[in-house]
Amino acid sequence: MNRMEDDLTCDDVLDFVEPYVDGDLEPAEAARLRVHLESCRACAAELALARRIQAELRALPQLDCPPEIVERVRREGAQGAQILPFRSPVRRGTGLPFRGARLGAAAALLALALGGGALFLRSQQQPKQPSAAEVARATQQARYALAYLGRVSRQASLDVRDDVLARRVVLPAAQSVSHSIGISLGEAPEKPVPARGDRAQ
Amino acid sequence: MLTAFDDTAHRYRGRVYSFARYLLSNREEAEDVTQEVLLRLWRHQDGVEEERLGAWLLRVTRNACYDLLRRRRSDATQPGMAASLDDEVARELTSAEPDPQAQAEAADFRRRLLGALDDLGEPYKSIIILREVQGLTHREIGEALGIPEVTVRVHLHRGRKKLREQLREANP
Repeated sequence: MNRMEDDLTCDDVLDFVEPYVDGDLEPAEAARLRVHLESCRACAAELALARRIQAELRALPQLDCPPEIVERVRREGAQGAQILPFRSPVRRGTGLPFRGARLGAAAALLALALGGGALFLRSQQQPKQPSAAEVARATQQARYALAYLGRVSRQASLDVRDDVLARRVVLPAAQSVSHSIGISLGEAPEKPVPARGDRAQ
Repeated sequence: MLTAFDDTAHRYRGRVYSFARYLLSNREEAEDVTQEVLLRLWRHQDGVEEERLGAWLLRVTRNACYDLLRRRRSDATQPGMAASLDDEVARELTSAEPDPQAQAEAADFRRRLLGALDDLGEPYKSIIILREVQGLTHREIGEALGIPEVTVRVHLHRGRKKLREQLREANP
């Protein structure tokens, strides 16, 4: 009877352990490995460790997400919600379900305040030029909207800084409004606000 | 009444979330990724063939996780992620070991394994999660990651070997 000789080194065996565990070795290779394992306790211990790792990985549970995520996506998807660039982590429990909705509400408020301010100034302009107090009131409305937008932005974990908003959102808008009604409110904006980059798929 | 989207989303949400959860080792981030992936499904639900849907969802999930991991690399202050994953996994598992000492040893081994998995690079980590934790076939993994089946096998062996080396070094 021919007894197979152990012609593998321990280094060879360490490379073959995982394929052996998965049954991916050719029968002849597997047989050579078994011969080595019979006489090498260190490599046998490596095989046991490899098997334990695989068994532990396979025993890990499938973790499930809260089912309301599907409902939320379906509801927002049906309403045509804009998919925002991915950001994380989301601060939760702030009432509105999506950051987009919160920001949308803030942006709407800002637009309302600016538009209201413009209409107010325009209506006052018909018979006479607006007074400094009226301009100050319109500016105050815009600042209130800015403060609200800043607060909502912070809640949504967006690092939008108030001074950036002031220079790039509120002042350009106020400049535009004041230009249309012929009132100087301050310096012109540096340049248009670049759109935030959307994540490529 | 369940729509086609509801049916698909409920069928795949666990797989998407679990993949993201193990890949990121962070619950909130995994929920965010799941939400983003399902939103993409909503937008593209008519543009993806049924038989490729599973692979498509896993690819989108992995891409979203990669984006997050790249961003996380620049933030060295992130706390230990594997600990929170270990807590959630421990809640899901009931130990078969009757002996308290054996239970503690098993829990310690699992904690070190999750830590080693968390430290594992790509594509090994994704392939091990998809194959060993989620039970996908080599072909399904190849379709999801866009690589040949034979490459999946090679990466799977190398990834598990790396885990073995790390666990051996931790407890020689």
